[in-house]
Amino acid sequence: MKDLSLIRNFCIIAHIDHGKSTLADRLIEMTGTVSKRDMQDQILDSMELEREKGITIKLAPTRLIYDFEGKEYTLNLIDTPGHVDFTYEVSRSLAACEGAILLVDASQGVEAQTLANTYLALDNNLVTVPCINKIDLPSARTEEVKQEIEDVIGLDASDCPCISAKDGINIDQVLKAIITKIPAPVGDENKPLKALIFDSHYDNFKGAICLIRVFDGCVKQGDKVLMMQTGKVFEVTEVGIFVPNTKTVNSLSAGDVGYIAASIKTIADVKVGDTVTSAETPISHALAGYKEVQPVVFCGIFTVDRAKYNELKDALDKLKLNDASLQFAPEVSTALGFGFRCGFLGLLHLEIITERLEREFNLDIITTAPSVSYHVFKTNGQMLEISNPTNLPPAVEISRIEEPIVNTSIFTPPEYVGAIMDLCQEKRGIYKDMQYLDKKRVELKYTLPLGEIIYDFFDSLKSRTKGYASFDYEIAGFQEADLVKVDLLLNGEKCDALSLIVHKDKAYTRGRELTERLKKLIPRQLFEVPIQACIGNKIIARETISAMRKDVLAKCYGGDITRKRKLLEKQKEGKKKMRRIGSVEIPSSAFMSILKLDEDE
Amino acid sequence: MKDISLYIHIPFCEKKCAYCAFNSFCAKDDVKEKYISLLCDEIKRRKLPRIVKTIYFGGGTPSTLFPAQFKRIYDCIYDNFDVYDNAEFTVECNPNSITEELLKCYKSCRVNRLSIGVQSLSNKSLKKIGRLHDKQTALDKIKLARKYFDNISCDLIVGLEGEDGKALTGYAKQLLTLGIKHISCYFLEVYQNTPLFKMIEEKKYKPLTDEEQISAFEKLSNYLIDAGMERYEISNFAYPEYESKHNTNYWKRGEYLGFGISAHSFIDGVRTENAATLDDYKMGITTSEKLTVKEEDEEKIMLGLRCNLGVNLKELKVDLKENPYYKDYIKQGILTEKEGLVKLNPMFYQISNTIISNLFEK
Repeated sequence: MKDLSLIRNFCIIAHIDHGKSTLADRLIEMTGTVSKRDMQDQILDSMELEREKGITIKLAPTRLIYDFEGKEYTLNLIDTPGHVDFTYEVSRSLAACEGAILLVDASQGVEAQTLANTYLALDNNLVTVPCINKIDLPSARTEEVKQEIEDVIGLDASDCPCISAKDGINIDQVLKAIITKIPAPVGDENKPLKALIFDSHYDNFKGAICLIRVFDGCVKQGDKVLMMQTGKVFEVTEVGIFVPNTKTVNSLSAGDVGYIAASIKTIADVKVGDTVTSAETPISHALAGYKEVQPVVFCGIFTVDRAKYNELKDALDKLKLNDASLQFAPEVSTALGFGFRCGFLGLLHLEIITERLEREFNLDIITTAPSVSYHVFKTNGQMLEISNPTNLPPAVEISRIEEPIVNTSIFTPPEYVGAIMDLCQEKRGIYKDMQYLDKKRVELKYTLPLGEIIYDFFDSLKSRTKGYASFDYEIAGFQEADLVKVDLLLNGEKCDALSLIVHKDKAYTRGRELTERLKKLIPRQLFEVPIQACIGNKIIARETISAMRKDVLAKCYGGDITRKRKLLEKQKEGKKKMRRIGSVEIPSSAFMSILKLDEDE
Repeated sequence: MKDISLYIHIPFCEKKCAYCAFNSFCAKDDVKEKYISLLCDEIKRRKLPRIVKTIYFGGGTPSTLFPAQFKRIYDCIYDNFDVYDNAEFTVECNPNSITEELLKCYKSCRVNRLSIGVQSLSNKSLKKIGRLHDKQTALDKIKLARKYFDNISCDLIVGLEGEDGKALTGYAKQLLTLGIKHISCYFLEVYQNTPLFKMIEEKKYKPLTDEEQISAFEKLSNYLIDAGMERYEISNFAYPEYESKHNTNYWKRGEYLGFGISAHSFIDGVRTENAATLDDYKMGITTSEKLTVKEEDEEKIMLGLRCNLGVNLKELKVDLKENPYYKDYIKQGILTEKEGLVKLNPMFYQISNTIISNLFEK
């Protein structure tokens, strides 16, 4: 019989860049989970992109063994992503734990996501243990931050561990706090199996792998298990834990975190948040599970080479195996051909997926400008959900359009309040509240259209506050707005992939910015090319790309044909990133970059 | 037996021009003698059962060779190859190095065409770009050469500082008056590591902008065409029957052998380039490339569209009509097609790179 009092299940939550992955590294190192020789930075971040960007995208669990006061404890750590796009990943791991380490940067203090993540932890009835990181920094203001944690969050921080994960200072205090403050799991391994799937990924050999937290009962190889939501039954082929690589074990029982494989062919048969129980003696009530995540940002993805459509499809299918939140459906664009309209949790998610498509699958892709999903009410009473501006019905058929809005919370030093208010104003924000959390920190609350957030809000916020402001948002429903579609004409031909839905008051400015931007991006063509922006049939802006003048190899030296041919082949090669729309050639980057034109213009 | 063209590269110059990035250099007499020996060895070594239809001495400056040196090479060619009686035989000359003695020598060696590097008729320009002649020398030497030769071509550079269309047509007029039958007009190309590049960097020289060059070229081109010449290739103008047969052979992808350093050959579908340094050349180092079907098509398209010969669709392996650009170009009047022969509208010569490369297969 296992002693549950020697198990702790916990995760680390923090604002992005406050040092979660570094602390995880130190904990792994100190407990000797990974030998010094195999240790590397961000050890739980296995994706190339995670390491490069220094962020965690997928959650990753690992089991640590630690001797404390003569007893051997099993500590299950679940590393979580920090970026707001991946909040749902955080909430998943929380449901598998009894407690959370709340990591706060000693110089930055409490930030928007510190608070947001704390609330998430409280919602999940977790014991939250504050911990101050980066005390080695010259700018560290440990005592003040302690006070902030008490004032802003309301957690007792008087004896919280003050550490430097980077330099390995006071890491033992963190381990001590985990053991002494976070409760041990409760559960009965003699009861029927009750386990939560908190994540899944796909393995080419073993099929879908379910990451589970066992609450009651026990699971071992050969057991028949029932997925309560999907109603499917599988025979368990492998049971294991993460150390942090997978290691098979005989069984997982109440209180444990690990994985099961059961020859599950399709990832669709595994629903994250589902409850796993015994097929023979099923429990009657499933665990609460999770809300299904809905994508909020959409864009079209096409291949530069039209012939690679199927490769793109395969790549998206493969990414979807490990990323249930990615959605996609076929789309046809007159300008770009066959592709997919894809839904994402946010811009970072979008950026990560497109980068993975290019790197891991070696595809040259064209991404259209991100859009949100609008509710379009037609005069005939019909309601359409439109996430592709091209599909917006003609203005006469529309009675009203509603756009998604978000509640945002912005943390900032007081001196930037004015700048942020200006920004929110420009972005059609509605002021809700402002609170001085302490002398150095103000929390501003605004309701903003999501469409404005995805349009470089984050970059503007960072640049206007010198990077001091932090920001978090949650979807807050739909709201009517005066929106119009701006179309782009190239050489008189409409390019559907460049259409945008914008607020009427901004249409002219945006149209002008867009045409100017395209003029810069599109190289000279054989003929003069007019670029026009229009609403319906009304032209609102125009620029002209003048015709190419000199592009010729003049001399042929003593029969050196090869040099000439190679120069032209090179020129052709350089065109691979171009897409031809009518008779105009456009660099594939143009479609995405039309979104990034605010500040620098 | 098949026809062939011969190219002989003479890398020597009396002085290197400010814009020059070619394989040419000033050399002492013993180096020249040595080079001629190597050249003759190569001619003997590479002799082929072909009949020679054109011979071309290029450089560098072939006219820097003394008559005796020239004759040595000439003899070697005629000893080793069958040459048509009416073969076109061109020698590139600098105005400065033309002498009556040299002209007589050429005449006796069956040379029947001269290509004179005039480049400009502005003393200021000629001096700045480091040419050894001035305007008067150029005109005098052309007059002298005309006594011996009917078929003379002159080179002009488009893009030199201050030389707009008006200046260039003025030069052309003087040249035509002197009985010049062929004019090659080249854009000034500025290469890194040339004195001209440095002068431009230091703002001591200001060539025409692209726009100005195009406009100057157009004026010059219109003038020459009005004078009865035909623009039979992007950079070449000639009165009827005076087109360069040697260059036309390149464009038609006919066979040729090139002798000397950096010289190019094209035999049996293989393109070969001789080594660029004397030492490597001495050892007989060459690089060769057997063209793929795709590369052959690309050459045919590139060369055919650059001149008034056009591209014969039947000679291509690729179906050009399947190219997405082709249809548009026909529709826009950029290309014309008549009985399978496709030509580039001369209005678009100056932006032909984009058009041609777009017609290359992916």
